[in-house]
Amino acid sequence: MGLRQSQTVTLTSSQAVRFLVTLIGDSSIALPAQWVRGIVIPTSVGRDGVLTWADASYEPSDLAGRLKLASQGRSAETRVVLYGHDHQRRSFAVDRVVGIVDVERTMIQPLPAHFRGAERDRLLGLFAEKDSVALIANPFWILDFPSRKNALDVFVLCLSEHRSGETEGRLQLPVATLDAVPVGHAG
Amino acid sequence: MLRGQLRKQETTATRGTGGGRPQHMVVFAVAGKRMAARTEEVAGVVSWTGAIPVPSETPFVTSLVRQEEGCLPVFDLAEKFKRTMREGESLCLVVKHVDGPLAIRIDPEVPSLQMVSRSSIQYHIGDDPDCAGLCVAAGEQLPIINLATLGVSSSRHAG
Repeated sequence: MGLRQSQTVTLTSSQAVRFLVTLIGDSSIALPAQWVRGIVIPTSVGRDGVLTWADASYEPSDLAGRLKLASQGRSAETRVVLYGHDHQRRSFAVDRVVGIVDVERTMIQPLPAHFRGAERDRLLGLFAEKDSVALIANPFWILDFPSRKNALDVFVLCLSEHRSGETEGRLQLPVATLDAVPVGHAG
Repeated sequence: MLRGQLRKQETTATRGTGGGRPQHMVVFAVAGKRMAARTEEVAGVVSWTGAIPVPSETPFVTSLVRQEEGCLPVFDLAEKFKRTMREGESLCLVVKHVDGPLAIRIDPEVPSLQMVSRSSIQYHIGDDPDCAGLCVAAGEQLPIINLATLGVSSSRHAG
Protein backbone atom coordinates (compact mmCIF):
# COMPACT_ATOMS: atom_id res chain seq x y z
CA MET A 1 0.00 0.00 0.00
CA GLY A 2 1.35 3.36 -0.91
CA LEU A 3 0.53 6.50 0.94
CA ARG A 4 -1.68 9.01 -0.84
CA GLN A 5 1.03 11.57 -0.78
CA SER A 6 4.55 11.99 0.37
CA GLN A 7 5.00 15.69 0.30
CA THR A 8 8.49 16.86 -0.43
CA VAL A 9 9.03 20.42 0.62
CA THR A 10 11.98 22.70 0.10
CA LEU A 11 13.48 23.10 3.50
CA THR A 12 15.03 26.48 4.03
CA SER A 13 16.01 25.96 7.66
CA SER A 14 18.12 23.22 9.16
CA GLN A 15 15.42 21.46 11.15
CA ALA A 16 12.23 19.69 10.23
CA VAL A 17 9.83 17.17 11.71
CA ARG A 18 8.31 14.38 9.65
CA PHE A 19 4.63 13.65 10.25
CA LEU A 20 2.12 11.07 9.19
CA VAL A 21 -1.05 13.11 8.57
CA THR A 22 -4.37 11.38 9.19
CA LEU A 23 -8.02 12.32 9.39
CA ILE A 24 -10.17 11.51 12.41
CA GLY A 25 -13.68 12.87 11.98
CA ASP A 26 -13.24 16.35 10.57
CA SER A 27 -9.89 16.86 12.28
CA SER A 28 -6.52 16.53 10.66
CA ILE A 29 -4.28 14.73 13.16
CA ALA A 30 -0.52 14.60 12.61
CA LEU A 31 1.65 11.93 14.23
CA PRO A 32 5.44 12.22 14.42
CA ALA A 33 6.40 9.65 11.81
CA GLN A 34 9.48 8.14 13.43
CA TRP A 35 7.37 6.04 15.75
CA VAL A 36 4.99 4.83 13.04
CA ARG A 37 5.70 1.13 12.60
CA GLY A 38 3.11 0.40 9.95
CA ILE A 39 -0.33 1.03 8.51
CA VAL A 40 -2.77 -1.81 7.95
CA ILE A 41 -6.42 -2.28 7.07
CA PRO A 42 -8.78 -3.09 9.96
CA THR A 43 -9.31 -6.72 8.94
CA SER A 44 -5.71 -7.38 9.91
CA VAL A 45 -6.64 -6.92 13.55
CA GLY A 46 -7.22 -10.10 15.53
CA ARG A 47 -10.49 -10.85 17.31
CA ASP A 48 -9.00 -9.83 20.64
CA GLY A 49 -8.05 -6.51 19.08
CA VAL A 50 -4.35 -7.22 19.43
CA LEU A 51 -2.40 -6.86 16.24
CA THR A 52 0.87 -8.68 15.75
CA TRP A 53 3.32 -7.47 13.19
CA ALA A 54 6.95 -8.49 12.77
CA ASP A 55 6.83 -10.47 16.04
CA ALA A 56 5.62 -7.44 17.95
CA SER A 57 2.16 -7.09 19.46
CA TYR A 58 0.29 -3.80 19.32
CA GLU A 59 -2.28 -3.19 22.03
CA PRO A 60 -5.46 -1.61 20.62
CA SER A 61 -6.22 1.94 21.64
CA ASP A 62 -9.17 4.20 20.84
CA LEU A 63 -7.21 7.26 19.79
CA ALA A 64 -10.30 9.06 18.47
CA GLY A 65 -12.08 8.57 21.79
CA ARG A 66 -9.03 9.56 23.81
CA LEU A 67 -8.71 12.74 21.75
CA LYS A 68 -12.45 13.38 22.28
CA LEU A 69 -13.01 13.26 18.54
CA ALA A 70 -16.00 11.71 16.82
CA SER A 71 -14.79 9.20 14.29
CA GLN A 72 -16.65 8.91 11.00
CA GLY A 73 -16.99 5.18 11.60
CA ARG A 74 -15.45 2.33 9.75
CA SER A 75 -15.25 2.70 5.98
CA ALA A 76 -13.09 1.60 3.10
CA GLU A 77 -10.75 4.45 4.00
CA THR A 78 -10.24 3.34 7.61
CA ARG A 79 -6.72 2.31 8.47
CA VAL A 80 -5.03 1.05 11.61
CA VAL A 81 -1.79 2.78 12.51
CA LEU A 82 0.86 0.75 14.33
CA TYR A 83 2.69 3.08 16.65
CA GLY A 84 5.54 2.18 18.93
CA HIS A 85 8.77 3.04 20.65
CA ASP A 86 10.92 0.85 22.86
CA HIS A 87 8.54 -1.65 24.43
CA GLN A 88 5.45 0.55 24.24
CA ARG A 89 3.23 -0.25 21.28
CA ARG A 90 -0.32 0.76 20.38
CA SER A 91 -2.56 0.30 17.37
CA PHE A 92 -5.38 2.68 16.64
CA ALA A 93 -7.84 3.38 13.85
CA VAL A 94 -7.94 6.57 11.83
CA ASP A 95 -10.63 7.48 9.32
CA ARG A 96 -8.11 8.10 6.59
CA VAL A 97 -4.38 8.29 6.03
CA VAL A 98 -3.48 11.43 4.11
CA GLY A 99 0.26 11.04 3.80
CA ILE A 100 3.70 12.01 4.97
CA VAL A 101 4.83 15.58 5.23
CA ASP A 102 8.06 17.22 6.37
CA VAL A 103 7.39 20.42 8.24
CA GLU A 104 10.01 22.98 9.04
CA ARG A 105 10.44 23.39 12.77
CA THR A 106 9.77 27.09 12.45
CA MET A 107 6.39 26.41 10.83
CA ILE A 108 5.19 24.40 13.82
CA GLN A 109 3.14 26.49 16.22
CA PRO A 110 2.81 25.32 19.83
CA LEU A 111 -0.70 24.92 21.15
CA PRO A 112 -1.70 28.47 22.13
CA ALA A 113 -1.60 29.15 25.87
CA HIS A 114 -5.32 29.95 25.80
CA PHE A 115 -5.95 26.21 25.74
CA ARG A 116 -5.66 25.37 29.43
CA GLY A 117 -7.33 21.99 29.81
CA ALA A 118 -6.30 18.38 29.38
CA GLU A 119 -5.90 19.00 25.65
CA ARG A 120 -2.44 20.34 26.52
CA ASP A 121 -1.39 16.77 27.36
CA ARG A 122 -2.85 15.40 24.14
CA LEU A 123 -1.79 17.98 21.58
CA LEU A 124 1.70 19.40 21.12
CA GLY A 125 0.86 22.04 18.57
CA LEU A 126 -0.22 22.55 15.01
CA PHE A 127 0.86 23.48 11.54
CA ALA A 128 -1.00 24.98 8.64
CA GLU A 129 -1.62 22.90 5.57
CA LYS A 130 -2.95 24.17 2.25
CA ASP A 131 -6.62 24.01 3.15
CA SER A 132 -6.63 23.12 6.80
CA VAL A 133 -4.68 22.93 10.01
CA ALA A 134 -3.13 19.73 11.32
CA LEU A 135 -3.14 19.17 15.07
CA ILE A 136 -0.07 17.34 16.35
CA ALA A 137 -0.95 14.48 18.68
CA ASN A 138 1.50 14.00 21.54
CA PRO A 139 3.31 10.71 20.84
CA PHE A 140 4.34 10.36 24.50
CA TRP A 141 0.69 10.61 25.54
CA ILE A 142 -0.36 8.13 22.84
CA LEU A 143 2.10 5.54 24.14
CA ASP A 144 1.50 6.35 27.82
CA PHE A 145 5.05 7.53 28.38
CA PRO A 146 5.60 10.17 31.04
CA SER A 147 5.00 13.63 29.65
CA ARG A 148 8.03 15.72 28.85
CA LYS A 149 8.80 19.26 27.88
CA ASN A 150 9.78 20.07 24.31
CA ALA A 151 8.58 16.65 23.22
CA LEU A 152 8.83 17.51 19.54
CA ASP A 153 12.57 18.03 19.83
CA VAL A 154 12.93 14.25 19.98
CA PHE A 155 11.63 14.05 16.43
CA VAL A 156 13.55 16.88 14.84
CA LEU A 157 15.64 15.91 11.86
CA CYS A 158 18.79 18.02 11.82
CA LEU A 159 19.51 18.60 8.18
CA SER A 160 22.63 20.71 8.60
CA GLU A 161 24.67 18.19 10.59
CA HIS A 162 24.74 15.47 7.97
CA ARG A 163 27.61 14.22 5.95
CA SER A 164 27.08 13.62 2.29
CA GLY A 165 24.24 11.14 1.72
CA GLU A 166 23.47 10.66 5.40
CA THR A 167 20.51 13.00 5.67
CA GLU A 168 18.80 11.71 2.60
CA GLY A 169 18.87 8.16 3.86
CA ARG A 170 17.71 9.13 7.31
CA LEU A 171 14.88 11.25 5.95
CA GLN A 172 13.60 8.59 3.66
CA LEU A 173 13.73 5.76 6.17
CA PRO A 174 10.25 6.24 7.68
CA VAL A 175 8.64 6.51 4.26
CA ALA A 176 10.40 3.40 3.04
CA THR A 177 9.22 1.55 6.13
CA LEU A 178 5.66 2.68 5.63
CA ASP A 179 5.58 1.92 1.96
CA ALA A 180 6.90 -1.54 2.65
CA VAL A 181 3.95 -2.45 4.83
CA PRO A 182 1.78 -4.77 2.79
CA VAL A 183 -1.88 -4.24 3.57
CA GLY A 184 -3.60 -7.25 5.02
CA HIS A 185 -0.44 -9.19 5.72
CA ALA A 186 -0.08 -8.18 9.29
CA GLY A 187 -1.22 -10.36 12.12
CA MET B 1 -9.74 48.37 5.33
CA LEU B 2 -11.51 47.65 8.59
CA ARG B 3 -8.54 48.75 10.63
CA GLY B 4 -8.47 51.96 8.60
CA GLN B 5 -12.14 52.56 9.32
CA LEU B 6 -11.53 52.06 13.01
CA ARG B 7 -8.61 54.49 12.96
CA LYS B 8 -10.73 57.06 11.09
CA GLN B 9 -13.53 56.70 13.62
CA GLU B 10 -11.02 57.09 16.43
CA THR B 11 -9.62 60.29 14.92
CA THR B 12 -13.11 61.72 14.46
CA ALA B 13 -14.06 60.79 18.00
CA THR B 14 -10.93 62.39 19.45
CA ARG B 15 -11.58 65.65 17.63
CA GLY B 16 -15.08 65.70 19.01
CA THR B 17 -13.89 65.50 22.60
CA GLY B 18 -14.53 68.71 24.36
CA GLY B 19 -12.02 68.41 27.20
CA GLY B 20 -12.07 65.87 30.00
CA ARG B 21 -10.87 62.33 29.49
CA PRO B 22 -13.65 60.17 28.14
CA GLN B 23 -13.00 56.44 27.81
CA HIS B 24 -12.84 55.17 24.24
CA MET B 25 -14.79 51.99 23.76
CA VAL B 26 -15.21 49.66 20.82
CA VAL B 27 -18.84 48.62 20.49
CA PHE B 28 -19.57 45.37 18.71
CA ALA B 29 -22.24 42.70 18.61
CA VAL B 30 -22.16 38.94 19.06
CA ALA B 31 -25.24 37.05 17.93
CA GLY B 32 -27.26 40.26 18.26
CA LYS B 33 -26.02 41.07 21.77
CA ARG B 34 -24.24 44.41 21.81
CA MET B 35 -21.28 44.93 24.09
CA ALA B 36 -18.32 47.23 24.63
CA ALA B 37 -14.61 46.79 25.21
CA ARG B 38 -11.68 49.09 25.86
CA THR B 39 -10.00 50.12 22.59
CA GLU B 40 -6.54 49.29 23.87
CA GLU B 41 -7.57 45.64 24.12
CA VAL B 42 -8.52 45.42 20.44
CA ALA B 43 -5.83 44.67 17.86
CA GLY B 44 -8.06 44.85 14.80
CA VAL B 45 -10.96 43.52 12.81
CA VAL B 46 -10.55 41.13 9.90
CA SER B 47 -12.91 39.00 7.90
CA TRP B 48 -14.04 35.72 9.42
CA THR B 49 -12.71 32.75 7.48
CA GLY B 50 -14.27 29.93 9.47
CA ALA B 51 -13.13 28.05 12.55
CA ILE B 52 -11.21 24.80 12.75
CA PRO B 53 -12.43 22.69 15.69
CA VAL B 54 -9.96 21.60 18.37
CA PRO B 55 -10.84 18.82 20.84
CA SER B 56 -10.51 21.07 23.86
CA GLU B 57 -11.77 21.03 27.44
CA THR B 58 -11.08 24.71 27.98
CA PRO B 59 -14.41 26.51 28.38
CA PHE B 60 -15.30 28.50 25.25
CA VAL B 61 -11.90 27.91 23.59
CA THR B 62 -12.58 25.05 21.22
CA SER B 63 -11.39 26.16 17.82
CA LEU B 64 -8.76 27.97 15.80
CA VAL B 65 -8.95 30.40 12.95
CA ARG B 66 -6.29 30.77 10.29
CA GLN B 67 -4.61 34.10 10.02
CA GLU B 68 -1.71 34.82 7.69
CA GLU B 69 0.94 32.16 8.32
CA GLY B 70 -0.40 30.88 11.60
CA CYS B 71 -3.53 30.28 13.60
CA LEU B 72 -5.30 32.14 16.38
CA PRO B 73 -7.33 30.50 19.13
CA VAL B 74 -11.00 31.46 19.10
CA PHE B 75 -13.01 32.44 22.16
CA ASP B 76 -16.68 31.61 21.66
CA LEU B 77 -18.31 34.68 23.17
CA ALA B 78 -21.69 33.70 21.68
CA GLU B 79 -21.62 30.41 23.59
CA LYS B 80 -20.59 32.17 26.77
CA PHE B 81 -23.71 34.32 26.52
CA LYS B 82 -25.78 31.29 25.47
CA ARG B 83 -26.56 32.73 22.08
CA THR B 84 -26.27 31.30 18.58
CA MET B 85 -24.42 33.01 15.77
CA ARG B 86 -26.44 33.37 12.61
CA GLU B 87 -25.16 31.55 9.56
CA GLY B 88 -23.55 33.72 6.95
CA GLU B 89 -21.06 36.50 7.06
CA SER B 90 -19.22 37.38 10.23
CA LEU B 91 -16.23 39.42 11.24
CA CYS B 92 -13.28 38.45 13.38
CA LEU B 93 -12.31 40.71 16.27
CA VAL B 94 -8.64 40.21 17.07
CA VAL B 95 -7.96 40.79 20.75
CA LYS B 96 -4.75 41.69 22.59
CA HIS B 97 -5.07 38.94 25.17
CA VAL B 98 -2.60 38.39 28.00
CA ASP B 99 -1.83 34.94 26.59
CA GLY B 100 -1.35 36.22 23.04
CA PRO B 101 -3.64 37.25 20.20
CA LEU B 102 -7.14 35.83 20.41
CA ALA B 103 -9.97 35.81 17.87
CA ILE B 104 -13.67 36.36 18.51
CA ARG B 105 -16.37 35.81 15.91
CA ILE B 106 -18.65 38.83 15.88
CA ASP B 107 -21.64 40.01 13.85
CA PRO B 108 -20.95 41.45 10.38
CA GLU B 109 -21.61 45.06 11.40
CA VAL B 110 -18.27 46.84 11.62
CA PRO B 111 -17.51 47.70 15.26
CA SER B 112 -17.86 51.36 16.08
CA LEU B 113 -15.72 53.53 18.28
CA GLN B 114 -17.64 55.34 20.99
CA MET B 115 -16.55 57.88 23.54
CA VAL B 116 -17.99 57.05 26.90
CA SER B 117 -18.11 59.44 29.80
CA ARG B 118 -16.16 57.94 32.67
CA SER B 119 -18.96 58.92 35.00
CA SER B 120 -21.27 56.58 33.08
CA ILE B 121 -19.07 53.57 33.70
CA GLN B 122 -19.99 51.24 36.54
CA TYR B 123 -17.24 48.76 37.30
CA HIS B 124 -17.56 45.38 39.05
CA ILE B 125 -21.21 44.67 38.38
CA GLY B 126 -22.03 41.00 38.87
CA ASP B 127 -19.66 38.13 39.54
CA ASP B 128 -18.57 37.33 35.98
CA PRO B 129 -14.80 37.98 35.83
CA ASP B 130 -15.03 38.43 32.06
CA CYS B 131 -17.39 41.36 32.51
CA ALA B 132 -15.81 44.56 33.85
CA GLY B 133 -19.08 46.35 34.39
CA LEU B 134 -21.52 48.50 32.47
CA CYS B 135 -21.26 51.67 30.45
CA VAL B 136 -23.63 53.91 28.56
CA ALA B 137 -22.67 54.50 24.93
CA ALA B 138 -24.92 56.58 22.70
CA GLY B 139 -27.72 56.25 25.20
CA GLU B 140 -27.44 52.47 25.30
CA GLN B 141 -26.35 50.54 28.38
CA LEU B 142 -23.77 47.91 27.41
CA PRO B 143 -21.73 45.33 29.29
CA ILE B 144 -17.97 45.99 29.21
CA ILE B 145 -16.08 42.84 28.30
CA ASN B 146 -12.59 42.24 29.72
CA LEU B 147 -11.13 41.15 26.39
CA ALA B 148 -7.51 41.05 27.58
CA THR B 149 -8.24 38.46 30.27
CA LEU B 150 -11.17 36.71 28.64
CA GLY B 151 -11.49 33.15 29.90
CA VAL B 152 -8.50 33.35 32.24
CA SER B 153 -10.49 33.47 35.46
CA SER B 154 -13.30 31.20 34.29
CA SER B 155 -10.75 28.56 33.26
CA ARG B 156 -9.19 28.80 36.68
CA HIS B 157 -12.58 28.33 38.28
CA ALA B 158 -13.37 25.41 35.98
CA GLY B 159 -10.02 23.80 36.66
